Amino acid sequence: MAESPITTHDPKNEEQGPVSPSPQQKKEMEQNYAQMKRKMSMQEIGMKIKHKIMVLSGKGGVGKSTVSTGLALSLAQQGHKVGILDIDITGPNVPKMMGLDGHKLHVEQGRIHPAKGHLGVKVISMAFLLDDPDTPVVWRGPIKLGAIQQFIGDVEWGNLDYLIIDFPPGTSDEPLTVSQSLPNIDGMVIVTTPQAVALLDSRKSITFAESLKVPVLGVVENMSGYTINGVTAANSSVEIAGPGGKTIKSTSDENGNFSVTLDIFKKGGGKSTAEDFGVPFLGALPFDPGFVRGGDDGVHKIVSDPEGASSIAFSAIVKAVQAQISDKPASSLEII
Amino acid sequence: MAEQMPTLVRIERRESDFHLTYDNEEEFSVTYHDLRHACPCANCSPLRNEDETSLKLREQVESFKLHKPSVNPVGHYALNFIWQNGCSNGIFRFERIWALANRRDPDNGKPYVHGAW
Ligand SMILES: Nc1ncnc2c1ncn2[C@@H]1O[C@H](COP(=O)(O)OP(=O)(O)OP(=O)(O)O)[C@@H](O)[C@H]1O
Ligand SMILES: [Mg+2]
Repeated sequence: MAESPITTHDPKNEEQGPVSPSPQQKKEMEQNYAQMKRKMSMQEIGMKIKHKIMVLSGKGGVGKSTVSTGLALSLAQQGHKVGILDIDITGPNVPKMMGLDGHKLHVEQGRIHPAKGHLGVKVISMAFLLDDPDTPVVWRGPIKLGAIQQFIGDVEWGNLDYLIIDFPPGTSDEPLTVSQSLPNIDGMVIVTTPQAVALLDSRKSITFAESLKVPVLGVVENMSGYTINGVTAANSSVEIAGPGGKTIKSTSDENGNFSVTLDIFKKGGGKSTAEDFGVPFLGALPFDPGFVRGGDDGVHKIVSDPEGASSIAFSAIVKAVQAQISDKPASSLEII
Repeated sequence: MAEQMPTLVRIERRESDFHLTYDNEEEFSVTYHDLRHACPCANCSPLRNEDETSLKLREQVESFKLHKPSVNPVGHYALNFIWQNGCSNGIFRFERIWALANRRDPDNGKPYVHGAW
């Protein structure tokens, strides 16, 4: 437009009024500047956090938040620095599971500081924004995607080995926004229960993940089976009336201990879905009423029972995830 | 669907196509244009839903100067191709590449619905 930065007499310019920006222009410039700063800070966050893992499911209530918090805690048990980002605006339940119910957002010099939950895991949740009179309205309602971007850009995570991102169910915009904002996401863990409806939906999420250019790290089958332990006479047979009128048989050992596993839903669907799609199966989590209690009283099952079956299942899943995100070459494929 | 897919063992980047070799010794070629037109990303996929936009996508893909892309493995199950221009977003599952090699519709005739949970 202007050939020279030096203003000479130019009638066209005079018609357009003064050279200094209008309030509208000024506002735009400020917005652009804030946008740019945010983008830079997201790049920086991207570099300070070694691994970023999204946790999604097709259906709601299948255990995303249970798996997200479980992965985070299991990684923390291994000695990693871990953060968890709860993107769920409508029903954020991560704080409760991490013993941070009622926690409020901590802002210092324009930066958001995460709360510290069990095992030192850093937590940021949309729940921290709710019911707070000082919370700017901009965080809520229809511009939630902007809020998410702002959220990601403004959090002071520090250096992390892992960031786990928990999503709300049944939507598609949040993962898209996050995958576009945060550079180098390692991939997505898809949670399903073994019911056919949940499996069908998890197939859709696998396709969805790929359309976002986020690799699928694998499928976790949650609420896979319920194990009952009991004591009876030594070396005797036990019969339990299982779901669907099926009789489940077991025998006790020489001390009289026995255990039977009830498949509350049909078992193995997570594995076959993964196989159908050629994505990894990361493992199964048993049905464990302790997760529900832990969610209610704020002490996660992994914290209250670090040696229990569920903790062991989680560490196996963590190992499977880590195998997927290691830098080893993918296969013996020759590319020339 | 029940058909067993062989493992892709070699990709050779040629002037205008990939030469693919599978572990059952079958060999195929897939042109860069065909592959790029079949991009599974969230931007390109919906364009294939309608004939008109699909044709536009095809024209766009064919307008790019032919060159060899870089090929990056994604996990153990897919490949990503980086081009000098246009879209490089798609994660191509080996199943998708197998479908293209066999001249089958990689979308299985189904329209794309963004985030269809
Ligand atoms: N393996 C399990 N055994 C028993 N209860 C479980 C298990 N996994 C999750 N639950 C319980 O199921 C309920 C839903 O789990 P959770 O909140 O993790 O699901 P979600 O997918 O995050 O739900 P939403 O879609 O609402 O975000 C919770 O009460 C949780 O305690
Ligand atoms: Mg949840």
